[in-house]
Amino acid sequence: MSKYLKIGLIVIVVLLLGSVAYAQDTLSGTITLWGWSYDSMSETGLIDAFEAEHPNVNVEIVVYPAGDTYQNLQLACSAGQGAPDVVQIENSNLAGFVALDGCLTDITDHVQPMLADFNAYKWSDAELDGRYYAVPWDSGPVVFYYRQDIFAQAGLPTDSASVSELVSTWDNYLTVCTTIMQTTGHTCFANSTATNNGRLFEIALWQQGLGYYDENGAVTVDSAENVATLEKLGEFWAAGVTSEAQPWTDSWYAELGGTGPDSTATLVEASWMGVFLKTWIAADIPGSWGVAYMPAFAEGQVRAANDGGSTLSIPAESDNKDAALAFIDFMLAQPQNQITQFAFNDFLPALETTYTDPIFSQPDAFFGDQTPRLIYLDVARQIPAANIYGRYYSLMNGHVATAIQQYSTGALSAQDALTQAADAIRTETELQ
Amino acid sequence: MEIPLTPTSSSNRRAGNSAGQPGNLSQERSRWGLLFVSPFFLLFAIFGLFPLLFSMVLSFSDWNGRGTINIIGLNNIDLLIHDPIFWQSMLNGLWIFVVYTPIQIMLSLGLAVVLNSKRVRGFRLFRTIIFMPYITNMVAAGFVFQLLMNTRSGLFNQILGVFSIQGVPWLDTPFMARISLVILVLWAWIGYHMIIMLAGLQTIPQDLNEAATVDGATALQVFFRITIPLMRPVILFSLVLSTIGSFNLFTELVSLFPGTAGSGPLNSTLTPGLYIFNQGFGNFRFGYASAVAYMYFIIVFVIVLIERRFLGRDNT
Repeated sequence: MSKYLKIGLIVIVVLLLGSVAYAQDTLSGTITLWGWSYDSMSETGLIDAFEAEHPNVNVEIVVYPAGDTYQNLQLACSAGQGAPDVVQIENSNLAGFVALDGCLTDITDHVQPMLADFNAYKWSDAELDGRYYAVPWDSGPVVFYYRQDIFAQAGLPTDSASVSELVSTWDNYLTVCTTIMQTTGHTCFANSTATNNGRLFEIALWQQGLGYYDENGAVTVDSAENVATLEKLGEFWAAGVTSEAQPWTDSWYAELGGTGPDSTATLVEASWMGVFLKTWIAADIPGSWGVAYMPAFAEGQVRAANDGGSTLSIPAESDNKDAALAFIDFMLAQPQNQITQFAFNDFLPALETTYTDPIFSQPDAFFGDQTPRLIYLDVARQIPAANIYGRYYSLMNGHVATAIQQYSTGALSAQDALTQAADAIRTETELQ
Repeated sequence: MEIPLTPTSSSNRRAGNSAGQPGNLSQERSRWGLLFVSPFFLLFAIFGLFPLLFSMVLSFSDWNGRGTINIIGLNNIDLLIHDPIFWQSMLNGLWIFVVYTPIQIMLSLGLAVVLNSKRVRGFRLFRTIIFMPYITNMVAAGFVFQLLMNTRSGLFNQILGVFSIQGVPWLDTPFMARISLVILVLWAWIGYHMIIMLAGLQTIPQDLNEAATVDGATALQVFFRITIPLMRPVILFSLVLSTIGSFNLFTELVSLFPGTAGSGPLNSTLTPGLYIFNQGFGNFRFGYASAVAYMYFIIVFVIVLIERRFLGRDNT
């Protein structure tokens, strides 16, 4: 009997010692993640590395598309329960959740020391009244994607530097589009009329530092500059060089990834588009796409804008905030881990301390051995501040998209359509 | 205490009598009855009645889904009356209703009459085939229709191309988008309404038809003078369902027009049902969404009342 007692005692002592060893890491329990791009962490072994560093923490990923993530988070915040520990939110929707009183955890004290390490503009949606509620993940530097084979067919240069020079402004872009249309019959880019979603218009506003409202909370949707911007896009519709394919539908994928007469020659979109082209949309035509700088609105102006980009937040209902914060730090604030993700998916880190990494100058076989990452990086550094995202983004985008549809189908002038949208936004929000 | 498992069975009745307390029997029986039906009322109170009343309170507030509920009086109603997009959504619903409902009723009644006849060979097979779309997942069906109706590469336009007919922009213009939507909704719902009509047809006594035939009525006369009048309540039921359905389309829209989150070109397919969802869950305007819901309820209620007035039994 005493033998068993001894063994029992030894076991207890060993267990106690073991727990002392583990006690150095106070984090434990499960953290649940909601979102759609955690594959850059799970497929690259970063989740395993995090779990190895914190042996008592278990990471559980729940994959929801963006729309479902927001609806479920909204419901969890309203109900006061059911929220995950970490949630992915795009910058476009972040301010709406920050404004949802007590939905996200205030992490100001934690992020204060690292504010300078990230792209400055990424913080604006994460902040309200001097408090911070999210950590930036990736930026969305907008570049000019073009089909080298179609450019060659049209007798145009195909190397990145020459194409950048060729499309130096939106006016020159139109000339290029017309040339392509006349010589090859290919459309220049997809920008549907009656089903427009407003994203390209927002990109064109962003590069000029324009937007939907100003610092004083006045609606600027129908400003003279905005009207001129919409009319510039109108010139492309008038010239008949665009296609009607709606983004993220099958016909759009076919236009971007095909070689037939339906395929489209260019695309103005953020760097995260690169990985979609590379891995599935245009995976069958490696070496066809190239990357250059997006056109400036007028000669000599900025050739950089932002579209999309995500952040990670901790819902207020999370009961494992310390582990969640450790997770976010591990994935987003450690340069090497951001680079690992970048190598996987080309989502440009918002963490600027990564920007000296040699990975940026590596040639990319999919883009015909060009070095697109250098362009992403250069663009990210020049993105101006613009008031497009914000608390009312979803509502404003809805009204502006309707205005663009009315203008592009000839129902209203650009001025009237945007004024109508601006009035609706003034009526329905606190903006004036 | 004895638990009556089947209160209405004769053995229990006897057991109750033998206890010598006949007065308690009906009380006890109704108590058990209430217990058995209580799950429905309980669930309805939680998931039906409470949201209804809560939403009514919300319709006078500017609640964003979290925090205190500020009552702002009739502001939402004022906004609503001046909201062109809400009125467009009502008009869209009306458009779909006006085009869809008559076709739906005629087709489903016609099909039901044909398939009610035992003389049609393989009528069971046809019933099954026609009913099948109703049990098909709408998200999948919408996706397939979206591929079929693609302007450039869709099968529909390829077939038209064979006959040298120019491709139709099925999903890209406001008019065609609504037409395409009606086609999808007809495809999905015709089987369901046909089953309702079939059930109605089978309640019509056969001897009425026979008597009419003996009196020399033609098949057409029988159909218009006997079948249709007797089918009135069933047609009314089907009509009311499609009325509410037209204004409340949701899954069909989101899966057929994913690029615009269901709103379609120039908001031409935005229904009040979808608008409520967008305002609440897209823009965090739960107060306004509730106001839209109640306004839309009142309007559709009035339409249904009118339908009852013209087709209801009292009026015959």
